Amino acid sequence: MDIFIQQFLNGLSIASVITLIAIGVTLIFGLTGIINFAHGEFLMIGGIVTWLAVSAGLGFPIAVVLAILAVGLMGYILERGLFRFTLERPTNGFIVSLGLIVVLQHVVVLFWNPNQKSIPRPLTTVWEVGGVRIASVRVMVILITIAVVALSFRMITASRYGRALRASVEDRDTAALMGIPVRRYITGVFVLGSALAGLGGALLIALFPITPFTGGTMVMKGFAVALIGGLGNIYGAVAAGLILGIVEGFSAGYGFSQWTDAYSFVLMILVLIVRPHGLFGGTSGPRMAS
Amino acid sequence: MKTGNALRSLLPVLVILALIAAVPLFSPSNRFLSLAISAGTNVIALYGLSVLFGQTGILSMGHAALVGVGAYAAAILARDFGVGFWTALPVAALASAVFAMIVGIPSLRVGGHHFVIMTFAFGQLLAIVLTNGGDYTGAATGLDIAGPVTLFGADMSDLTRYYLMVVAFVTAAAVASWAIIHSSYGRTLRAIRENEKLAASLGINVGRHKIGAFVVSGVFAGISGVLLAYFLGHISPSQFSSFPSIYLALMVMIGGARLIEGPLAGGILVAFLPEVLNLDPVQSRIVYGVCLIAVIMLLPDGLIGGIVRALRVAFSGKPKQEAERDAAPSEARQ
Repeated sequence: MDIFIQQFLNGLSIASVITLIAIGVTLIFGLTGIINFAHGEFLMIGGIVTWLAVSAGLGFPIAVVLAILAVGLMGYILERGLFRFTLERPTNGFIVSLGLIVVLQHVVVLFWNPNQKSIPRPLTTVWEVGGVRIASVRVMVILITIAVVALSFRMITASRYGRALRASVEDRDTAALMGIPVRRYITGVFVLGSALAGLGGALLIALFPITPFTGGTMVMKGFAVALIGGLGNIYGAVAAGLILGIVEGFSAGYGFSQWTDAYSFVLMILVLIVRPHGLFGGTSGPRMAS
Repeated sequence: MKTGNALRSLLPVLVILALIAAVPLFSPSNRFLSLAISAGTNVIALYGLSVLFGQTGILSMGHAALVGVGAYAAAILARDFGVGFWTALPVAALASAVFAMIVGIPSLRVGGHHFVIMTFAFGQLLAIVLTNGGDYTGAATGLDIAGPVTLFGADMSDLTRYYLMVVAFVTAAAVASWAIIHSSYGRTLRAIRENEKLAASLGINVGRHKIGAFVVSGVFAGISGVLLAYFLGHISPSQFSSFPSIYLALMVMIGGARLIEGPLAGGILVAFLPEVLNLDPVQSRIVYGVCLIAVIMLLPDGLIGGIVRALRVAFSGKPKQEAERDAAPSEARQ
């Protein structure tokens, strides 16, 4: 039972990072139609910025803020400079993002070598509760994720910006006629998703060492979770992220660790075949851009 | 008359390939030959990809996995059944075609942009399965493939001979892809690319033809895999995971998928660019990535398509979409 709870907690912290990526993917892909496979590299850059900031002697909280700002800014530049021109042809955007994967990974390798990078754990306390060891850093990651997810969810469902955004997804032309600056919302969603990836990267490096190639597997998990949960559906992404993270946590804990990366792919393939709109229903694919 | 016109589009490729086949006369270095051979194996797979992407308009992001199926089929056949190169070739092509069908049926059912994600996921899954396959697939270290390639009793393992053989295979692939483009089947595929609903309303079974095109591209990939396995003598899962797939897509995009010269140009450019510019692997990958983005944003028909169009504009002042019509000269006939 102790192992069970232990693995549950570990799974929950992995699930947090996956959920942060998945929310970015689900918002960007589901609402704007941009298929950005370089989202994993955004996460990796967030981790690298955190690593640089911590190595330069800054505190972890400042490093996290820097990571969010840097990746958000990068998202803004890339959306304005590249993805904006691919809105009419999402496949082109997808291919551009593949080019970005290669460029971003190797720029990082070029400047900061391909080796693993880690930072000292920002919180070192470990609580012992009835034989279960709870690392406070994991609890921190989970709490930050909950707060961010709740905030994003509220922004999308309850604020007038969220309502305008959902209107744009529903019917782009009518929304534009109602005075909603649709293009600006696309940029906004892209920047928000990128910033979340930056945060995810900062939290990931607090848990595990990362390499310039960490983004590759993480982005597939993000897409898997976004598609399983239903595109554009934050609630679905959270639920699917929890399922995937916990399944991975348990399988690692019970000795099937070499298969962990396979689960997300198998799950995603099955869900797309059986329920193309995801388990929890989402936008019926990206509509805003087409 | 029309056939003559179509033949003319094949001619430049044949001339280029004949020139390439003459390269050993100038006693090139072994490094050059090795690079050229691996570029050649890629080009064969790219011709398959050009049928899928250029003609049918669907992109596979797991294409290296299909190459991998061919390579592993050849290696396992050689190890367990003592099967040589020439028998392995059709069997591996068939294995890749079957794998393409297994991936294609569910993937094309979901349709749209999800297809690329599905193929990517299947490609990753294959790499994981190969890594965890224990002794049968040689796990992460992969498999060795020994045994000489012989043709009419002559040993082809010599670098120059293998080079010539690969050039022959590339030529066959180019001709096969040209034949598909200029057949009524190719026209059917283009009809699907241009307007799926219209094609369906004309009685074209869209789903079956899409899967068919994927299977055809699988055959090319399987052959490419066998050549690659026998050339390298050792294969491992990482050669067929997601990033090789991205590079294959990159090559076909840079060369341009719709023109018959495209795959050849893309494969050669990507293989030799770092040599020519004297870049280390990291820098060359950055250059590839930037090239890919630039090509997509500025030259949607690929580099060759862009050059053809620029020449047309320069000589006749007609900034029309001639390049595209070149790839499909038979469409006007309908």
